[in-house]
Amino acid sequence: MSDRKARLTITVDSHLSAYAEHLVESGHATSVSAAFNEAMAEKAYRDRRRRSLWKAKSEQADPDRVARMMAHIDQQLAQ
Amino acid sequence: MSTPSRTPLILDTSVLTAVARGDADIIALVQEYDARGQPIVIPALAIAGASLDIRGEEGDDLLAGLELLEVVTVAPLNGAEQAARLAHLVARTGLDPWDAHVAAIADVAICPILTLNAAKWEHASADLDDPLRIIEIADPGDQKPGK
Repeated sequence: MSDRKARLTITVDSHLSAYAEHLVESGHATSVSAAFNEAMAEKAYRDRRRRSLWKAKSEQADPDRVARMMAHIDQQLAQ
Repeated sequence: MSTPSRTPLILDTSVLTAVARGDADIIALVQEYDARGQPIVIPALAIAGASLDIRGEEGDDLLAGLELLEVVTVAPLNGAEQAARLAHLVARTGLDPWDAHVAAIADVAICPILTLNAAKWEHASADLDDPLRIIEIADPGDQKPGK
């Protein structure tokens, strides 16, 4: 995680704000900013993992078969 | 390669189930549409139906990965009026709620439905005032002579 921080103003749902404050009060986050930073880092990780999974799956595809299926769809759309 | 249609294509539950199952050819096909800039609409309830079919973390990750494609818009079920319209479609067509959401969006937006199972849609389409436009994903190379 980067030590450099960017300042931004965000608007969040009140229940999520309350939960972030609860994390701070219970010692599970050092600040509300840290709680949201961690949540966004987790989302970035999940998104990267999902993109990698899609890439890995599509690399197993049969390009000729995919091309035939797309041509078949195009034919139907053109009718 | 042909010019892509700018009319959005709607994916039904059969296509989303194939994605969730990790069908490499269907995933590559959707990625190719993303590369072409072809708008795709995915009804939220169809995602629920596919997730229910597969039941697994990887399947849900593959479904969630659809949202990361630029061309994909996930259509929510929004408000009491849309919910009632969905119930009406279920009662009228016999479709399950997952594909009834697909039909509801296709009916309103006048967009084609992409499916792996066109036969499933024949009755439903006939039960509606305006027939749905059904486009089947199939490899003509799979068709056996005489069939």
